Amino acid sequence: MKQLLSIFESFGSTLELLVRAGSYVGTLPRQRARFIEQCYLIGYTTLPIVAILSFFIGSVLALQAGYSMQNFGAKQFIGSLVGLSMARELGPVMVAILLAGRVGSAITAELASMKVYQEVDALVTMNIPPARMLVLPRLAAALAMVPVLAIIADLVGWFGGAIVAKYVAFISIEPESYFAVLRRYMVFKDVLNGLIKAESFGFVVVLVCCNIGLNTRGGPREIGAAVTRAVVVSLILILVLDYFITKALM
Amino acid sequence: MQNSQQTARVGLFFILGLALTWVTFETLSGGRVFKNKGYTLIAGFESLKELKEGDDVRMAGVKVGVVEKTRLAGRRAEAILRIEGDTKIPSDATASIVMAGLIGTNYIGVDLGSAGVPPLAPGSEIRTKVTPDINAIMTELGNLGQKLEGALGAFGNSMNGDGRNPGLFQKLDRLVTENGERVNTTMTNLQEITTKLNRGEGTLGKLVNDPALHDELVAAVGEIKTTATQARVFVTDAQGLLAQVKTGKGPLGTLVYDEAAANDLKATVANLRQVSDKLAKGEGTLGKLINDDSLFTSAQSTLRKADRAIDGLDDSGPITAVGIVAKSLF
Amino acid sequence: MPACSPTRNPFTAQETPAVGVAIEGLSKSFGPRLVLDNITLSVEPGEIFVLMGPSGSGKSVLLRHIVGLEAPSAGRVTINRQDATAETTREHVRMAIVFQAGALFNSLSVYDNLALYLREHRVTNEAGIREKVMRALQILSLEGAAEKFPSELSGGMKKRVAIARALVMEPQLMLYDEPTSELDPVMSATISEIIASLKNEYHVTTVVVSHDRDLALNIAERVGILMDGRLIFLGTPDQLRQPEDPQVANFLYPKIDLKNPRYKQLET
Repeated sequence: MKQLLSIFESFGSTLELLVRAGSYVGTLPRQRARFIEQCYLIGYTTLPIVAILSFFIGSVLALQAGYSMQNFGAKQFIGSLVGLSMARELGPVMVAILLAGRVGSAITAELASMKVYQEVDALVTMNIPPARMLVLPRLAAALAMVPVLAIIADLVGWFGGAIVAKYVAFISIEPESYFAVLRRYMVFKDVLNGLIKAESFGFVVVLVCCNIGLNTRGGPREIGAAVTRAVVVSLILILVLDYFITKALM
Repeated sequence: MQNSQQTARVGLFFILGLALTWVTFETLSGGRVFKNKGYTLIAGFESLKELKEGDDVRMAGVKVGVVEKTRLAGRRAEAILRIEGDTKIPSDATASIVMAGLIGTNYIGVDLGSAGVPPLAPGSEIRTKVTPDINAIMTELGNLGQKLEGALGAFGNSMNGDGRNPGLFQKLDRLVTENGERVNTTMTNLQEITTKLNRGEGTLGKLVNDPALHDELVAAVGEIKTTATQARVFVTDAQGLLAQVKTGKGPLGTLVYDEAAANDLKATVANLRQVSDKLAKGEGTLGKLINDDSLFTSAQSTLRKADRAIDGLDDSGPITAVGIVAKSLF
Repeated sequence: MPACSPTRNPFTAQETPAVGVAIEGLSKSFGPRLVLDNITLSVEPGEIFVLMGPSGSGKSVLLRHIVGLEAPSAGRVTINRQDATAETTREHVRMAIVFQAGALFNSLSVYDNLALYLREHRVTNEAGIREKVMRALQILSLEGAAEKFPSELSGGMKKRVAIARALVMEPQLMLYDEPTSELDPVMSATISEIIASLKNEYHVTTVVVSHDRDLALNIAERVGILMDGRLIFLGTPDQLRQPEDPQVANFLYPKIDLKNPRYKQLET
């Protein structure tokens, strides 16, 4: 009962933070420098790991599909299978999970330490709302950068699949036919679908991580606990949201 | 400065994202970014089958646009075609849904129409025609096979008979066999008479001296004459028959002077060629599909039957009998 | 009601009204623990009020109530008759708090720490900001530290930077949380002098939370002593020199008795 209450409480405080941050949208142009900095952290520095991971996810997808589909002569459909899975599901979810682990944890750690060492209090007394200075640029940066990461993940995953399809002996599908099948069975809506999902996940992850960071109380030990909690909550939310967004977009 | 470098990287990164999104969009949706480029036409169909948005519109095989939208309009399905560039579609051009592959890739094929016809105005409707889809073709192929089987069966019946009614070959056979016996008898008689005549040369004077015998001789000569006339009539008959057989040398169709049967055979062969052409075209998946079909087996057995019938024409008795008659007479 | 005597702006020499703080029946509990118990006191505009008390007596919590970082469980805190917890209060009254550990923004240089408020509130252009920041750094003899980061500063410098950061806000109300703790006696004296001179020069209403007896006796106009969440003394520094209350006397002038140490007294 008490736990349920605390879940609702954090849900409410997250929404409140969102509304607060939203009310300062007009100040975004002035916070350009902070926005760029966050874009750099959320987007640019996350790119390498996103690229590496999506390449191998695409490869493994092609490999597994080739292995299981060779039995009934559907190998030529690997392109569409990898394409659709990457664009609609794995690309967005993988980007969101990496974001939670790499960016979300950093956000929570930073905000939690600012809170614990009273920097947040200092901001409040200076009449600089943390929602405006600390949360809004991060949310905006997430909105701007996550789709970029997702589309890169999609494309890198597709190429990973194409390379495996060509060079693995028991698959041996030329990239031309791989991409022809991919194109034939996909419309841009599938990719857009994935981008919307990634966008939602990224936004929620950053928002939740900001909220958990700003609500940290105590000392260094609590900072660590807050980071763990932020990542766990983010991962759960990603997968729960994934179901509902997928269903809503169908 | 660190800051401007960061800004540049973020900017570059964002532009990269936009570019990749655009490229993906272009590739997957046939580039509807240029929404204002070109113009649209409406093509109404009973069914769009497997056509989907982003499929090509090709005029005489050349891509001229994409299917921009598919929608249901009242009692029919409509495809909105975006014709890119300034390609003019003549107003009498006909659009149809064409299959590019067996696994469901379709495009809208537009024929060239006629020269000198005013082009379709943007937003107007293009004429359409229904093309059979893969299912229809398979069904048709099945029907064709059945027809073929029927035709080959009829052909076999007309050649060999079906038990109750004698076939063409039987008739021919019987005709020649019966006449041959008569010819043989007549020939034997004729030979006997001539032999008697030859042998009677010695006794002919006796016969001439003897008036009674003379009368008898005259009567005998009259008899010979009659017989000779009879023989000539028969030989004319045989000649006529032989001429007909002789003109029948060459293609199988004309060998059989029954014109209807020949036409039947011709049509059947034409059908056969059509089918085999289709089979040849359908090499691959279709070939496999047909491999498993009993249709193919039955077609083969029918062909084998036809083969056998033709073999029968070559070395069965009747022809030989006619040959013997012809040789022994001339 | 406290009369409003003007505060002089340290940069423009313009006078803005000083503010008074009124605390009425304030109680605060964290869970079952009562931290503040029915506190009533007022700070007059332009005065230096020093709040003393042993560690854990609730001094810092009281300070946080004044700047509206904590909401009272009972009672209320008003600044110029406006509720301290209301966000609009912070827009109407410029107040600055100097936290115990400084609470400097670790990711920003000293200069940017000071400039943050001015930039965020678009007080003036970048040239004007530079002028104000350098002036504040000069007041606290920190000119050389402008480009340093908080992690590179000593404890005393951190506190002075925190004071400078509060100063650029041109506050009407300055609050100090343990400004002299963890500092050597000379540095403590320096900080005390700075607090006093800022108040004297600019007439800023000042509340200092400290358990530094020297600071309280030398610069305070009025002193309050908080013990276990209750206000046990409210008066002038002079009254503190000969305290009547044994509790106050024991707190201010503890005897270090090696023969009968306190931890053994507590045991019995």
